[in-house]
Amino acid sequence: MRAVAAAAVAIAALALPASAATPPTRTPGVLMVALQMPSAGFQVGIVRGRTVLLARGLEVDLATQVAKLLGLRARFQNEPSFSRLVKLGPNDWDAAVAQISVTPDRARKVDFSTPYFQADQGVLVRVGVKPVPRSIAALRKLVLCAQRGTTGGAIVTNRIKPTRKPLFPVDVSVLLYDLFAKRCEAIVFDASTLAVLRREAPDRYGPLVGRIPTRERYAIAFEKGSPLRARVDAALQAISRDGTLARLRHRWLGADTAKLPVLR
Amino acid sequence: MPARLCVTAALCAAVVLPPAAAAPRAATVKVAFLQGEQVVYVDRPGSNVAAAVRGLLAGPTGTEKAQGIKSQLPAATPLRGISVRGGVATIDVGIKFASGSRAESLTARVAQLVLTATRVPNVRSVRLLVKGGTPLGLFPGILASFPLTAKSVTAPPRMAPPAPAAQQPKPPSAVTRAIQQRLADLGFMRADEVDGRPGPRTTSAVVAFQKWSGLGRDGVVGPATRTALDSAARPTPTRPGAGHRVEVLLDRQLTLVIDGARVTRILDVSSGKPGYDTPAGSWKVFRKEARSWSVPYRVWLPWASYFVGGVAFHEYPDVPPAPASHGCVRVPRWDAHWLYTQTPVGTLVTVIGRSR
Repeated sequence: MRAVAAAAVAIAALALPASAATPPTRTPGVLMVALQMPSAGFQVGIVRGRTVLLARGLEVDLATQVAKLLGLRARFQNEPSFSRLVKLGPNDWDAAVAQISVTPDRARKVDFSTPYFQADQGVLVRVGVKPVPRSIAALRKLVLCAQRGTTGGAIVTNRIKPTRKPLFPVDVSVLLYDLFAKRCEAIVFDASTLAVLRREAPDRYGPLVGRIPTRERYAIAFEKGSPLRARVDAALQAISRDGTLARLRHRWLGADTAKLPVLR
Repeated sequence: MPARLCVTAALCAAVVLPPAAAAPRAATVKVAFLQGEQVVYVDRPGSNVAAAVRGLLAGPTGTEKAQGIKSQLPAATPLRGISVRGGVATIDVGIKFASGSRAESLTARVAQLVLTATRVPNVRSVRLLVKGGTPLGLFPGILASFPLTAKSVTAPPRMAPPAPAAQQPKPPSAVTRAIQQRLADLGFMRADEVDGRPGPRTTSAVVAFQKWSGLGRDGVVGPATRTALDSAARPTPTRPGAGHRVEVLLDRQLTLVIDGARVTRILDVSSGKPGYDTPAGSWKVFRKEARSWSVPYRVWLPWASYFVGGVAFHEYPDVPPAPASHGCVRVPRWDAHWLYTQTPVGTLVTVIGRSR
């Protein structure tokens, strides 16, 4: 997948000089970006209906930078259901940036940019859970939760296979609420996001016990056949090459989660 | 209006006294501000949640600020709307409420708002809106998409404070023992701490001596510190007084424990940083908590002795040579319990701005 995308970038870079006209978007001059709030470190803000205010985070800055390189202004709207970000068919946004990992199934419904982030899943335990789980076998005995339709959910179902019924809320806020409300003993979610959550409010969470390597790659999603993809790929490659992407990662996520112990 | 203060929501009913006489009194609401590491409540005129929240958004008065009372709400944050239904107060504030990125400030301001609103009778929780929208992920550790109760912002975690990292003791030496003995003779260490081993206790005592002597605060016994140590006399109280008492010297970042005319110990401490100044004046220890929880800043404060509002002596892992706290007096781990035993309720604490 990645090799194909890289080849597309190279062709696009040759075919589209920097001075090319601004790409076609739903609203001229505007790149309408779909987010799915919140995800600590990646995208947080205020949501009013679908309008997003005060958006912050790695993916917000990433989309802003990409839009700028395309000669566009980024605007954001919230899409509360993750599955709608990767559905087949038309949308009312130009691109979706929401920790969407590239999978063959999703790639049949949407086009993906070249990836901008490689992630693993992490396991964050509720305060007070004893003994602290340090293995997949120990996790199996807990009430686990993950966001529905995500890699974390698939890991719970297919890899950990818990003996107690897991919960799969649609919304990230509900996922965290379930953890606070003691309906979950541990949650499985993007390791970098969990690390940011724990760092910002260490008293609210138990330990981030480790990661389950998935090596999934996050990419920007477009409608099938979107003319934006090649231009966005070129922009992503540019901000990766000049160090902007690395700076954003450091600013918003901080520590490298690759140092977390691997859960086996 | 004189501030009527109490610390933490749970204790307020006990600390704020009713009017002495039965004379008619204008209705008031309680507004949650911050002092030191804790929430304190002050009265404002009014009888409903709108008055309370407006009082909060207006911030502390000049008199209250002089007492070290603060707010983490950004100045001039507008109130866009407020309503109460079924015990849930929906409070819509301007976007300034979510400005800034310091986690401790963001969480503290939500705690202030929730504690202010839920002190009003019949308000059990708060649904927070910012510019008409739901803040998602902006306030670390707070799920603002659900109604927030006082308990959700005050409850300490069900886990003990983290234990300090164990340090391998360094081998003893006669030179270190001699320095420690001299520091103990002068009151900067306890006699039972003289073991000849260098380490943070000794460094802290050297820093305390350097602070008292007006030397550079590096914790190293160089030529200047050595000379000063050889000729120094035990410090004396900076203010006249009698009996057992404590002086906090803000300019030197020291705490003196005094019996009569004798200074029994001089402790290296760190008081309120600029903007969070520890209030000068004469106070008395009024509350002791072996394990205190900072509601607004969500941190454990072991061996806390409160002497004015939310301002206390307490243990803290980091006691730098300069003022660094939210207004409290940070005490190093090895001295915190000892000071706790030396400051029973009623102990006079004099906080002095200029001691020289």
